Amino acid sequence: MLLFIVRRLISAFLVMFSISVVVFLIFFATPGVNPAARIAGRSASPEVLAHVAAEFGLNRPLPIRYGLMMWHLLFQQDLTSYVNIGVKVIPQITGAAPITLSLIVGAAVLWLLAGVAGGLVAAANRGKWIDPLIMFGGIAAVSIPAYWLGEVVNLVTQNKFHSLFSWLPAPGYVSITQSPWQWALHLIFPWITLATLYAGVYARVLRAELVNALNEDYVRTARAKGLSERRILVKHALRCSLVAIVSLFGLDFGSLVGGAALLTEVVFGLNGIGMLTYNSLLNLDLPVIMGCVMYGAFFIVLASAVVDVLYAFLDPRVRSVH
Amino acid sequence: MSDEVLLRATDVVKSFPIRGGKLGTKKVATAVNGVSLDIFKGETLGIVGESGCGKSTLARCLVQLMPVTSGTVSFKGEVLTGRSRRQLRDTRRDMQLVFQDPYASLNPRRTVGDIVADPMRINKMGTDAVINARVADLFKTVGLDPSYVQRYPHEFSGGQRQRVGIARALSLNPSLVVADEPVSALDVSVQAQVLNLMSDLQDEFGLTYLFIAHDLGVVRHVSDRVGVMYLGQLVELADADALYDEPLHPYTNALLSAVPQLNDGTEVPRERIVLSGDVPDPADRPSGCPFNPRCPSATDQCRTEVPVLLEIRPKRFVACHHPLTF
Amino acid sequence: MSTNEHAAPVLELTDLSVSFSTRQGLIRAVDGLSLSVGRGEVHGIVGESGSGKSVAMYSLLGLTRDANASITGSVRFEGREILGSGDKAMQPIRGGEIGMIFQDPMTALTPVYTVGWQIVEQIRQHTDLTKAQAKARAIELLGEVGIPDAKRRVDSYPHEFSGGMRQRVVIAMAMSCNPKLLIADEPTTALDVTTQAQILDLMSRLRDVHNSSIVIITHDMGVIAEMADRVTVMYAGRPIEAGPELDVVRHPRHPYTWGLLGAVPRIGERSERLATIAGNVMSPLDVPVGCAFAPRCAYVMDECAARPPWSDGDHRSACWLSDTQRVALRRKES
Ligand SMILES: Nc1ncnc2c1ncn2[C@@H]1O[C@H](COP(=O)(O)OP(=O)(O)OP(=O)(O)O)[C@@H](O)[C@H]1O
Ligand SMILES: Nc1ncnc2c1ncn2[C@@H]1O[C@H](COP(=O)(O)OP(=O)(O)OP(=O)(O)O)[C@@H](O)[C@H]1O
Ligand SMILES: [Mg+2]
Ligand SMILES: [Mg+2]
Repeated sequence: MLLFIVRRLISAFLVMFSISVVVFLIFFATPGVNPAARIAGRSASPEVLAHVAAEFGLNRPLPIRYGLMMWHLLFQQDLTSYVNIGVKVIPQITGAAPITLSLIVGAAVLWLLAGVAGGLVAAANRGKWIDPLIMFGGIAAVSIPAYWLGEVVNLVTQNKFHSLFSWLPAPGYVSITQSPWQWALHLIFPWITLATLYAGVYARVLRAELVNALNEDYVRTARAKGLSERRILVKHALRCSLVAIVSLFGLDFGSLVGGAALLTEVVFGLNGIGMLTYNSLLNLDLPVIMGCVMYGAFFIVLASAVVDVLYAFLDPRVRSVH
Repeated sequence: MSDEVLLRATDVVKSFPIRGGKLGTKKVATAVNGVSLDIFKGETLGIVGESGCGKSTLARCLVQLMPVTSGTVSFKGEVLTGRSRRQLRDTRRDMQLVFQDPYASLNPRRTVGDIVADPMRINKMGTDAVINARVADLFKTVGLDPSYVQRYPHEFSGGQRQRVGIARALSLNPSLVVADEPVSALDVSVQAQVLNLMSDLQDEFGLTYLFIAHDLGVVRHVSDRVGVMYLGQLVELADADALYDEPLHPYTNALLSAVPQLNDGTEVPRERIVLSGDVPDPADRPSGCPFNPRCPSATDQCRTEVPVLLEIRPKRFVACHHPLTF
Repeated sequence: MSTNEHAAPVLELTDLSVSFSTRQGLIRAVDGLSLSVGRGEVHGIVGESGSGKSVAMYSLLGLTRDANASITGSVRFEGREILGSGDKAMQPIRGGEIGMIFQDPMTALTPVYTVGWQIVEQIRQHTDLTKAQAKARAIELLGEVGIPDAKRRVDSYPHEFSGGMRQRVVIAMAMSCNPKLLIADEPTTALDVTTQAQILDLMSRLRDVHNSSIVIITHDMGVIAEMADRVTVMYAGRPIEAGPELDVVRHPRHPYTWGLLGAVPRIGERSERLATIAGNVMSPLDVPVGCAFAPRCAYVMDECAARPPWSDGDHRSACWLSDTQRVALRRKES
């Protein structure tokens, strides 16, 4: 098992490496484009261009250029944005990352709880009124646009019924190290908004998996053993359905942390990775874009590695293949 | 049956790593331990042996559903072991497996009609109409009502599921069919139908079968030759009649004596040889002959020296230091 | 043989019927099955594949979960009616008083738990044993069903076992609480003859020591001969013949039973073709109103258009042939 984890981490590292190479090539080695001009942004002066060319070794061979780039990005951490003169890339990302992570982790806890509970209750009550109700709620939640839901929440809490929600601070972010209570208070509605969108999907997927599992022969065996329905549902059916949920979660978590929560961030004024990526795209701020892409890739790769390890943990058949 | 070798296995070994007693110690269970055999074109080779002795594992290794630990398998003169999945694709079509576990091998989310049709669709065997007609045909040949195509596997009885598996295996007109306990879930009359069907198909298409079963009556009926496995090794291999009439290995003899008999007064009661001693464990093989701890006629030689499979008479192979003779 | 006709039966099925409504129509999987099993008795059930043997057994334990299933009739276990009692009421009976061995060993175990865990789960559900005691018992049971090195294999996952070994795990599980009634659905299909002998022995011991009753479903007439005191033969969901084992095997009355016994491959002889029962396996969607076997029967008569009555007596059958006709036909055949 340990060996498996180590192997999986090594391969994750290799994937990261290849992604960085590809990103590098796309940004800096596209034929016919002057990379210096790209880095320096629109309407840069010739001196700036020369400075950029020297700093990134743009007249040196590709592998060296790649090395320099990574050196600045990862080790020196002094890659600077030329659009917003003097602003370093890495601090921007490390400033934005905790905000996004706070948002996603909190929301993930909520949507997992709600999704699993919803799926379990629906599967346990197949054929009764509560099952279609939950499933309808699920599909409704999935189909709401995040932006709209966020705006409605804001409208209600900050405007229409502000007196009721007077305890709620204005939109924004407070670091957890500053005040955990304020941190949670600021994030509670963003969490609920984002979780609503995902809980519906999870409840539906889990219900489908559970209903399939409940048709399996081993559930019949479990029932013939005289186990309670609850134990059958949780210990046998749910345990075997978790694999699907885990892989779904890995994908969602990775891409959300990588910036896919943009809309929620915008609505609630959270300066997270999504916002950062969006703004840098607007400004064509190449170093920042690259930093964000690398950061996003890192989380997606990490999440999929963790999913694979969890897979092996959850399913002994996967374990023995490796 | 001809002298042309369709599939040849040489010294096939398959072992599984297992969690050892103490932390860190690596142990292996050797499920198949050096099996060499030839399957001739057009014949039916039956394999019998104790539960857990490695029959299914051997079958899976032969059709390359599982990589061998060592040894080689060649099919129609081409070595298969060590090839990639892609290189094996065409050969795979030519070797089909009927599984021991019909349900586990049928996708519960597809209708049985689709399950049978899928291999043909993947291999583009014709238009939808042609394929559907063939599915209906196959259903009839295995004794299923063609109106069942729309149903899902869980709506079937165990025997019916197994017939779906057989229909699927036959759909691509393979030249080798490896059947792992194909009829054990069937009632005797359907079993007879399926066995007759398999032999008809053999006559018609020159099919070759590797046939694994526990019912020794069935094996005798269908097989030209029979191999007896014990603890991952082939201990006896001979023409079916010769093997049943005059078993040479003590294990074969014990096996034959244990067949339950019908009470209808038509059979001569047999004396049952009860095997004493511990059930063999592939992770902890005895030294010498694998059967020696349970063998009534084991000697010191048997406890130290591994007997090899020898052709002691024409077409009679046995791995025993003291073969029985009558 | 310890057939005790006077004691109250342990299990009594009366007119059990199970039907599924499917898209193609109504499937009568079990159609009026009645049988009774006395204490310490072994009752064999044979019959065509798809004739409703398994469905009947699942239904009596309330394991048929299909929303389209409708179950009628009566199932009395030790005098109590258990058909239709809810899961709560059935819990102590399932696994505790009635053990069930499932037909398909490959899928009967939960893939993500070790076999030991699964046996322990069952033992702890019905007894007060501690985890350690239950595990010791699990190891003992695995040894009894002939799993080598049970102490280590108890921590193996199902996929690490061969088909026959999984079947034996299910058997160990079903016998773990010494049930009063053991329902064994093709318990030895995946086993070689020597292991089969060992399992049959184990089942006989359960009967001898705990005076348990056994219902055994099998396609192997040899197993019937070895184990069963009484036999019921089923065709298309209906019982068509029932009686003491020797009577049914030596003097079968129903033409289906004749065909069934004739199709058994004998180890001592080898023929070109096995005898089969003519005609195709009947579709459960269009079972004839009359005798279900009539379309395939070589001896159909006009009467067969009506459903034959279930005759009285110890050796019962459902066929319109009279005894004299039967004797004549059998003589002509042999
Ligand atoms: N994935 C695995 N990991 C560990 N051991 C395994 C694995 N698969 C099979 N084995 C072991 O290999 C041996 C042979 O298994 P195999 O399935 O080939 O037996 P078999 O002869 O087909 O038995 P049966 O008649 O019961 O189906 C068994 O002891 C089994 O426990
Ligand atoms: N859930 C279901 N929906 C529809 N039909 C079903 C369902 N379950 C079983 N059947 C049908 O009921 C009939 C009886 O099935 P059952 O499993 O009891 O047969 P069996 O006598 O046990 O056969 P075998 O010997 O092959 O195991 C079959 O025709 C089967 O297709
Ligand atoms: Mg096997
Ligand atoms: Mg069945």
